[in-house]
Amino acid sequence: MSRPAGSTARRSVKTEYIETDTGNKISRRAFIEGKQNIMLGGKTVIMAGVHLRGDLCRKPERVAEGEKEKPNTTAVSIGRATVVSTNTVIRPPMRLHKGQMTFIPMRIGDNVFIGPNAHISSASISSHVYIGENAVLSPLCIVKEGSKILPNTVVPPGMTVPAGTVVGGRPARILGEVGDGWGQGGGVEVEDWVEGGDLRPLVRSIK
Amino acid sequence: MSVTSSAVKGDGNRCSRSCYNCPSCTSPLQITHVSHRDEGLLKPNDAAGDDETYVLQCQFCDWSSLEIDVRFSKPTKITEQLAKQQKTRTSSTHSTTASNQKPLDHDEKFTNLVSFYKDQLNDSGDPQNPYSNSPHNSPANLARIMSLYGGLSYNALKKTREKPQPMREALGTPEGFVSFHADRSDSELIRRSQASGWDGTITSEQQDSAPSNYDSRFNGELWPSATQLRTKRAKRCKTCRHIIARPEPNVGNMRYKIRLLAMNYIPRLMLKSLHSATPLANPAFLLKPGMPQADDLQPHKAQQYILTVKNALFETVKISLATPATTPGKVASRVTILCPSFTVGPAGEVWDEALSASNEPNSDGDRKAAMASLTGSSESSERQPEAGKIWEKTRNSTSIIVEIVPGALQPPPSIVPKTEQQLTDEELGEDDDVLEVPVYVRAEWEAEIKPGETVQAKKDANAMPGEKVSKEIGYWVVLAAGRIAG
Repeated sequence: MSRPAGSTARRSVKTEYIETDTGNKISRRAFIEGKQNIMLGGKTVIMAGVHLRGDLCRKPERVAEGEKEKPNTTAVSIGRATVVSTNTVIRPPMRLHKGQMTFIPMRIGDNVFIGPNAHISSASISSHVYIGENAVLSPLCIVKEGSKILPNTVVPPGMTVPAGTVVGGRPARILGEVGDGWGQGGGVEVEDWVEGGDLRPLVRSIK
Repeated sequence: MSVTSSAVKGDGNRCSRSCYNCPSCTSPLQITHVSHRDEGLLKPNDAAGDDETYVLQCQFCDWSSLEIDVRFSKPTKITEQLAKQQKTRTSSTHSTTASNQKPLDHDEKFTNLVSFYKDQLNDSGDPQNPYSNSPHNSPANLARIMSLYGGLSYNALKKTREKPQPMREALGTPEGFVSFHADRSDSELIRRSQASGWDGTITSEQQDSAPSNYDSRFNGELWPSATQLRTKRAKRCKTCRHIIARPEPNVGNMRYKIRLLAMNYIPRLMLKSLHSATPLANPAFLLKPGMPQADDLQPHKAQQYILTVKNALFETVKISLATPATTPGKVASRVTILCPSFTVGPAGEVWDEALSASNEPNSDGDRKAAMASLTGSSESSERQPEAGKIWEKTRNSTSIIVEIVPGALQPPPSIVPKTEQQLTDEELGEDDDVLEVPVYVRAEWEAEIKPGETVQAKKDANAMPGEKVSKEIGYWVVLAAGRIAG
């Protein structure tokens, strides 16, 4: 799946996206490392120039004798109908644990929109989250459900973005709450998807 | 941090455990272990005794509690340890400057005042009732019972015999009274701020971050602020007090028990370009950086848009639209609504919608538009928008044509030299180049009164259930067409 940057020229026979059985759309121009450690929920889009660092996973612990060796661990798991826009970097965070630096598996929920040029290194992102362009989610921050991260925001390390809030600034501060109708009203027409709502029509429109 | 509202009522609105925010940049602080060796490098003499030292550290701006010289012996109960250190800090400053009566900090003054006035209230409390602190609220009964069982104790009797003192005000420092001192080291503060300069002082926002920082003025005096807590709130209608939104009480769950959204009760407006096959891109879903530049609006070039009004009600609605001839703001664009009043059919069940969509020939509009863009000629380009005519009508939506002539970002050059005031007026601010059209929407419809429903309008006060009453609603909406090219 990962190809050198030189071979990005598109030929007419090849489509931009490879579609998997579960409906995931992965750009041929995405940079994906350690794909055995990446889980995609289905109908998820990985766009061109996205760096997915699945190779940064927890090293398997020493297996006691007689026990079966565990299959490889998940580094990044992404839910359903999540859109990762162009040139975003997704990199699992690491921290000191029992005197050793280990990578923490990263979880991203369903219907999450990640804008272009974002840098994601958070511990978890819940469902129906909107992340604007150029946002930086520092290591081990936690983004709760239905929150909105404005463009160009830097979420500081270890911050918890509460559910249903709007954060922005460098460092990110809570600026307000999303409306009570957050994520409602989409799906009226194909082009009328809304932030925080069902992203399936958006995923369908990406070809 | 989210908590339930009952917890906030009990414990206050700040986290009482170990959650603290950086006073300098508001990021969350992390409890960091300072190893013995590092300490040795920094302070070879002091560090001999401590094995375990923890500090609060901000990973964003590198502020740490070492700046105010605060260390913790254990990584838990930070609030307790911090309060203890703060108390010793303030009391030590008192003892050193006790001679010239250094004022107490606000909290101490307040507690002194509270205890003083409590005593005063107790002393001057109802002299007729010596059992004022008893749970029984009938003093006459109580007195009778008590006299049966041997009367009052010595102290209580003494209290009743004493003349009740009139309540007085606080007098001295131990009673919480502090008078204003004009000489209160103001000159020293001025001298310090002169020496440290702008960078050495703190902002008012930083001062307001926590009650402990209200009196701080300089960089090294900020204490970490406890994280503020959040709750969820229900919302009510301003006029009829009906609950509009009520979230489920459990923390972290974003579902609602009651949620009545305006969207489901008022007509919705949608704007898209008439000529381009692609709809207006939702600026929120930028997939690539720099995507919207492609369809920037050219000034002075008339653009035609399809404005679709979609009905959410189950009755046929008569719509009247109104807009100013030119948009307000610095860049005035001309707007013409070709058909400002029309009707929109009723909304049906979701099932009806699905059925009608499959029967309607217009449902493959996208395909037609795509075909049109391929072949270059289509019926939509042949069809000319006409004033007073509806463009397109479906069961519960009506489309009309709006013509917009974007204004120029630069004002026309003039021969007369402009004053400075005019020049500053002409300067464009952020997002002044976004073309936004305010539209006033008025919807009228006839609604059937449901049994049990009260009628607000006076003229319909005697309307019976089952009869039809006319209802109307008016509101402003803003339609955004795009950015004007410079």
